[in-house]
Amino acid sequence: MAEIRNGPEEPDRENRPEATPSDDIGAARELVELRSRAEYSADLERHVALVSFEPRRAGLPDVSIKDATEYLDKYHLERPWLSVARGCPPEVQRLFAALDQGHGHAHIRHEGWVTEEMNEHRVRNLEDPAQLDPARRRASIDGLTAGNVPHRCGDVASQITDPKIFAAAFARGVEHPDVRAALDSKGPRPEPVILPISNVLGDDGHKFCAGWQLEAVNGSMDEARAARRAWAAGNQSGPEPLARPVETFEGGTVTFAFRRSAAGGYEVSTMYVNPADEQST
Amino acid sequence: MNQAYWARNPDGPFATLIAIAANYCHPEVYNDAYPELIERARSAAPEDEQIRVFREELREALADPSRLPDDELSRAVQYDDGSSQAFLRRLWRDLYGDEP
Repeated sequence: MAEIRNGPEEPDRENRPEATPSDDIGAARELVELRSRAEYSADLERHVALVSFEPRRAGLPDVSIKDATEYLDKYHLERPWLSVARGCPPEVQRLFAALDQGHGHAHIRHEGWVTEEMNEHRVRNLEDPAQLDPARRRASIDGLTAGNVPHRCGDVASQITDPKIFAAAFARGVEHPDVRAALDSKGPRPEPVILPISNVLGDDGHKFCAGWQLEAVNGSMDEARAARRAWAAGNQSGPEPLARPVETFEGGTVTFAFRRSAAGGYEVSTMYVNPADEQST
Repeated sequence: MNQAYWARNPDGPFATLIAIAANYCHPEVYNDAYPELIERARSAAPEDEQIRVFREELREALADPSRLPDDELSRAVQYDDGSSQAFLRRLWRDLYGDEP
């Protein structure tokens, strides 16, 4: 090995001019690739997950790229959560179209079309982003359940802010062994699977998450949730619900919950991110 | 690895109660899942071992809520009944009526 290293073909490292940012090669590379190696690797993994995504394996109807584009064009006005995907790569559009023809709500309540304000109002006042009638939304009526069913929300209302990252997270998540075991199970509704964000969205995945969390009342989330429900029902004798933005999702988790699929077996009922202090939920 | 309480502590106290309650009563799934739990509990097949254990643990938790592991039920289910005791009482009533 030493012979090779010191042989005539080995570049003269010691007398090699030091590369500077103004070098032509360096400048050209800067123009072509702005991502760090880690970011490039994470993007590549997401891309592979997306192009490999098979809707049927997630209990969803098969959708072609062409059908997906047509579906989004046809329904995006009446189903506004589809709009964010229209400008995305074809494989992202396909995933959104397949999800929208299933029965899950991840792309409706936990994706980038939901604004910060909608998340805040959801966690503070139980206003459902999926409820498109403003009066019914203010009245805390669920947008995805028939009738006047009250909307429900946990301690956090969260989202993945970029549709491409959301789609890749879903595509990667449904291939995780624990999620696959749930999707392929034959018995009663499988229990939720809670995975580290980094496993599903990549090491930098927490940067694409946002959300609002309910403030405790007298140090108790039990009291805070009960007070929020009472306020939503019109009883404002207790403390007014308060919420604050989640500071970071670093070290957080992604929850996958399941429900029966029309295609047989199970599909993902919802997928949402939780900050680190919500890990055991 | 699954980070849920019942996956981290499969033999932990009330693991089945917390798993089932989170699975069917969490706000993110409640509106479609809760009716399914009522149906499952009321018409439980003899071989549904998980529901048998769930019912037993629910009965034990109601008898002595202080035995529930710290905050795990609240964090897993995020009920809005005001307390774990109120939630468990409602759960028993909805699933099993007035039975002891």
